[in-house]
Amino acid sequence: MMDRSRYAALFLSESREHLNLCNQLLLEWERDPKASEPVTGIFRAMHTLKGMAGAMGFTNLTELAHRTETLLDILRSAPGASIEFHDLLFRVVDALEAGVSQAVAGGDEQLDFRALLAELDDVSNSSPATGSWAVDTRARVEEPVGPEPGRVVRVAIRSDAPMRGARALIALRRAESLGRVTAVRPAPAGFEHEEFDGRFSFRLESESADHAVVEAIGSVGDVASVSFGEEAASTSAGATSAATGRSRQIRVDLARLDSLMNQVGELVVAKGRLAELITADGSPELQAVSARIGRVVGEMQTEVIQARMTPVWQVFDRFPRVVRDLSRQLGKRIAFQVEGEEIELDRALLDEIGDPLLHLLRNAVDHGIEPPTERKQQGKPPEGRIVLSASRDRSAVAIQVSDDGRGIDRARILAKAIKEGVVDKGTASLTDDQLLRVLARPGFSTATNVTDVSGRGVGMDAVVSRLRGLGGSLQFESTVGQGTTFTLRIPSTLAILRALLARVGSERYAVPLASVAETVEYVSSAVVSLHGKEALVLRDLVIPTVHLRERVGAEGARPPGRPPTLILEVGGQRAALVVDALVGQQEVVVEAFDGPSGMLPIFSGATILGDGEPVLILDPAALV
Amino acid sequence: MSHTVLVCDDAIFMRTMIGDILTQAGFSIVGEAETGREAVEKYKQLKPDLVTMDIVMPDMGGIEAVREICKTDPDAKILMCSAMGQQALVVEAVQAGAKDFVVKPFQPSRVLEAVQRILG
Repeated sequence: MMDRSRYAALFLSESREHLNLCNQLLLEWERDPKASEPVTGIFRAMHTLKGMAGAMGFTNLTELAHRTETLLDILRSAPGASIEFHDLLFRVVDALEAGVSQAVAGGDEQLDFRALLAELDDVSNSSPATGSWAVDTRARVEEPVGPEPGRVVRVAIRSDAPMRGARALIALRRAESLGRVTAVRPAPAGFEHEEFDGRFSFRLESESADHAVVEAIGSVGDVASVSFGEEAASTSAGATSAATGRSRQIRVDLARLDSLMNQVGELVVAKGRLAELITADGSPELQAVSARIGRVVGEMQTEVIQARMTPVWQVFDRFPRVVRDLSRQLGKRIAFQVEGEEIELDRALLDEIGDPLLHLLRNAVDHGIEPPTERKQQGKPPEGRIVLSASRDRSAVAIQVSDDGRGIDRARILAKAIKEGVVDKGTASLTDDQLLRVLARPGFSTATNVTDVSGRGVGMDAVVSRLRGLGGSLQFESTVGQGTTFTLRIPSTLAILRALLARVGSERYAVPLASVAETVEYVSSAVVSLHGKEALVLRDLVIPTVHLRERVGAEGARPPGRPPTLILEVGGQRAALVVDALVGQQEVVVEAFDGPSGMLPIFSGATILGDGEPVLILDPAALV
Repeated sequence: MSHTVLVCDDAIFMRTMIGDILTQAGFSIVGEAETGREAVEKYKQLKPDLVTMDIVMPDMGGIEAVREICKTDPDAKILMCSAMGQQALVVEAVQAGAKDFVVKPFQPSRVLEAVQRILG
């Protein structure tokens, strides 16, 4: 029921959350060394981590967290930490991150933090001992009574905490242990009302220093913020509660959701088959029952899909740290901004976009943003800017990585492409799409000097192929000297697709409906030749044709009559896909797909239809 | 030396569950009580470092038991175990002297956090 592995999973995920938070707070602190909220937040996270690691019996982890916490306690009372402290703390967080995984795998005893502990000790010893682990009593002895006998203390209980009123009461009790508490607002009698939002204030007459009060009240658990004075509450609450209060979720093992999703997927398929059978020869009652099952299954599907949706911050959160480390390593100055963190994606997709985004960000830092001196010469601010943003785009999510760096030098890429024989010698210029394809080729890198950060020429190719596999696309805009924006478009849900089924020869193929602009008939009178290639004239558009028969090498004769043609549209590009026949529309469940090497690169997945037959799903992006 | 715990709950299931959580975290369960009265008696007898206390129990409820225990030992470290929707009772228990609470269904991490907070 409550085995150790369940604890381990909880410990792992929560520790990671806390360490992630530490990373964010460290960055915040680095930007504003005088701010006290980040230090308090990191302190608290370390404290929690220490507690959890202790509960798991990981003595080495506990020790490192504890010593870090002790140092932070000192730093809290002596703010304005130097950059070395930040670097040390970043390294501690890294060590804890690695250590947490290793400890869970049974290797806590092998963890060796001695070097880090020694460094922490050095810093602790060189700092004035104004704070201490046991702040409470010490503060009382050492610190003089403040000029004012009482302070207004504002406390906010986390909005997702159970029984905020009871928690507030415990916080109040804790405050009472520090001194005289008066003027409690709202009155404690109101705490137990459901409407109580967990925010309250009181006047505290106590000799304890502010930080001791914050720590004491913060230690009762589920406290989002503790602040002083009449107005300070909202700002300080914003900082911590935004980080800790946004996860009103229960933890479900992802494998369970996957399994549920698969089950529902099979149910959808079975439902489709049932409906087919009943339409063929079923009584009205049967049809009614089938229709009802259909509706319920549909709702279940929606629910499961919804349950799998995860906000992108879960992946985005690690990027500020990556960008910071990289830019320091490369001697660049970069302001990194993240927007649209709350946008949601299917969990499986989210896991997949992490690497592509990392590639894009690395490229932006390494190749995009110029070194400060070069930027100054060009009249740009020395600090470069990279924005990572997510936004909804109909049923898809668009994620953009834009930088204000040097842009993509088309001439240089063209020259290199010609030199490497990627394009014909006579080519005068590359279209955006060609450029991307050139950039995306394995082994093709335009980096003038290859760094260990990027520039090995696998990045873009990895990005594009990964995205295609997910039913996504990648586009970019770039202006030399002004910057580059990559736009990555992916469906927000992965598992179920509305598809148009088309037949060629004896095979059926599924085409994602989202990419089909319209269907027309292929009439020979509308066919023209465009740069030696066949194209279809549709109204004022000339659209290149793709004969699926030829692409898949279908055997047998084409059925007589005018073949149906699907006008595919992906990111402004079009293609006319000529097929033998249209079979119908239906929802298909996308199955994980690992095409054999050498397979035509025009498929993005496979599915099993209601009648049990597998069909391949065409990738429209590969056809336009 | 590991901390000693008295687990009070009328359901064996809940006692086992809490016991598991705490035992695995290194606590030692020195006693169990099925009623409030039994809880008060066992507290006096065992002097545990920590008590987990269900609110609703037969023969003297958890809140009354907290009151009785705190009469003899105001520093008693009692963790209330409550179900959702029992906030008023939890508030009453805290006023009676309980130090913290957890809400069922239990997440081990939250139970342990609360216990850590109490034992400080």
